[in-house]
Amino acid sequence: MNTPSSEPQLKIYCEDINKTFIQKGHMEVPVIRNISLEVEENEFLVVLGPGQCGKSTLLRIIAGLETPDTGYVALDGFPVTGPGPDRGLVFQGYMLFAWNTVMGNVEMGLKLRGVPKQERRAVAHHYIRLVGLEGFENHYPHQLSGGMKQRVGIARAYANSPKVMLLDEPFGQLDAQTRMFMQHETSRIWEHEKRTVIFVTNNIDEALFLADRIVLMEGKLPGRIKKEYIVNLPRPRDHENPDLLELRALITSETELVL
Amino acid sequence: MGGSSIANETVGVSSGREGITFYQIITNTYLLYTVSLISFFLVWDRVAAWQVFGDSLARPHIVALKLYDLTQIKFAGTNLGGHIWASTQRVLIGFSLASFFAVPLGLFMALNRYANAIVKPIFDLFKPMPPIAWVSISILWFGVGEFSKIFIISIGTFVPCLLNSYNGIRLIEPELYDVIKVLGGSRKDEVVQVSFPASFPAIFAGLQISLSVAWTCLLAAELMNARDGMGFLIKRGMDTHQPSLVLGGMILIALMAWLSSLLISLMERKLCPWKRSIDNL
Ligand SMILES: Nc1ncnc2c1ncn2[C@@H]1O[C@H](COP(=O)(O)OP(=O)(O)OP(=O)(O)O)[C@@H](O)[C@H]1O
Ligand SMILES: [Mg+2]
Repeated sequence: MNTPSSEPQLKIYCEDINKTFIQKGHMEVPVIRNISLEVEENEFLVVLGPGQCGKSTLLRIIAGLETPDTGYVALDGFPVTGPGPDRGLVFQGYMLFAWNTVMGNVEMGLKLRGVPKQERRAVAHHYIRLVGLEGFENHYPHQLSGGMKQRVGIARAYANSPKVMLLDEPFGQLDAQTRMFMQHETSRIWEHEKRTVIFVTNNIDEALFLADRIVLMEGKLPGRIKKEYIVNLPRPRDHENPDLLELRALITSETELVL
Repeated sequence: MGGSSIANETVGVSSGREGITFYQIITNTYLLYTVSLISFFLVWDRVAAWQVFGDSLARPHIVALKLYDLTQIKFAGTNLGGHIWASTQRVLIGFSLASFFAVPLGLFMALNRYANAIVKPIFDLFKPMPPIAWVSISILWFGVGEFSKIFIISIGTFVPCLLNSYNGIRLIEPELYDVIKVLGGSRKDEVVQVSFPASFPAIFAGLQISLSVAWTCLLAAELMNARDGMGFLIKRGMDTHQPSLVLGGMILIALMAWLSSLLISLMERKLCPWKRSIDNL
């Protein structure tokens, strides 16, 4: 892997991960095969792959919600043994707490860690504003549109101050226009509060718009990494940028073979 | 419901543009409600007046008069209010007793697999039993007093209460627990922040079902043997051939069942403001 001059710090390290699920009691389904991954501090890594190639499983393993059969995940050099607040996960389905307001959802992580009410309200409010939901603090999830729900999910993860943000196809359920808007927002938020991000998507334009680096996954199970691409373009990006289009053509040509 | 719902657009009937059309009048919901109710009472009144069921169907105003009379005189030791209260008390005690134990037990069974393994088989054995089936055995065991009636109501309501709170937790989307885990929460946090609140609507659904079962059990118990209560009024009306008394009792029971269900709905609204809508209000 090529390393920039300023001695980047390794944030997440996945060492040769394998995962096989047992379905219906006996059927073995290999889902992750020999995945090794390095993510640098404040890097925006996009994992690009079509449906059903083990993307969610990979994120869940990094989050500590699943244990790999072989290999391990390390965060700042320490092996991950389970889920923890140092890794924030934005779920593929929104997974908001329907019984809590926007505020209640966003402040949940801080509440669980015993942060006093005043303080956690202030932090939660900061992130609610950052994702553009000011004024909706007392709304319940069912009163929000899909895009707004996902912002709550993002704010909820951010408010817990994780070192790494893991986003699982966060905009997969949105219409094309809202999706584009949310991509701009994500880019804006990330530049505002830099974090190490692993962002999963099946959308190549989304990947090109957001990523510092794209990891392309094989189009079928078991999921494995097919190729990597560095996206060294200034932000905010333009979908019509010729360099971007060139890279898009390259990635597409290599994806179509497996799709 | 209160709170502006930004995702909803109201589709209103456009009015005032060119006056109110005939079509708009005949499709007005409130008008249809009124027409429907009036027709019902009219049909009832005609069927009774023409003696379709001989003299066994009282006309609506006779039933109303009968109920009014009962508020003025003592009938079998107490006036109408006394009879209503006698029944309501039985339902209240039986229902409260059952839900007090069944809801926590259901939650506990769903959360603890050992508790589940111990209680579930016995529960499954009792589950298919129709609640009314307990009437005879409880009279054999406890005689015909108050205790026997409360026992019937409790045992009948216990099952739906337990089943619903149990399922309320069992059917929770497992990824919601993952959210708590990822945010750094413990198993206790999962239970407090997810299991309990998420099961609330199911618990209330269980309470609603239980309540209607409770009134059914009450009626069964009072029809078998009682010295007061609305079931007693119905039974007495039947024995002495007073259709107005039978119908009056039926209407009262339905009214009380409806009122108590409304009360639970209001409680649910208060406790679950996040629920999208509560249909039976
Ligand atoms: N807990 C589990 N038990 C059994 N099988 C599982 C489990 N989790 C995932 N799988 C299987 O692993 C495969 C990959 O799932 P995964 O959700 O990781 O893919 P994905 O790339 O995220 O798919 P999508 O694009 O639909 O989100 C699926 O076939 C799924 O059935
Ligand atoms: Mg997925």
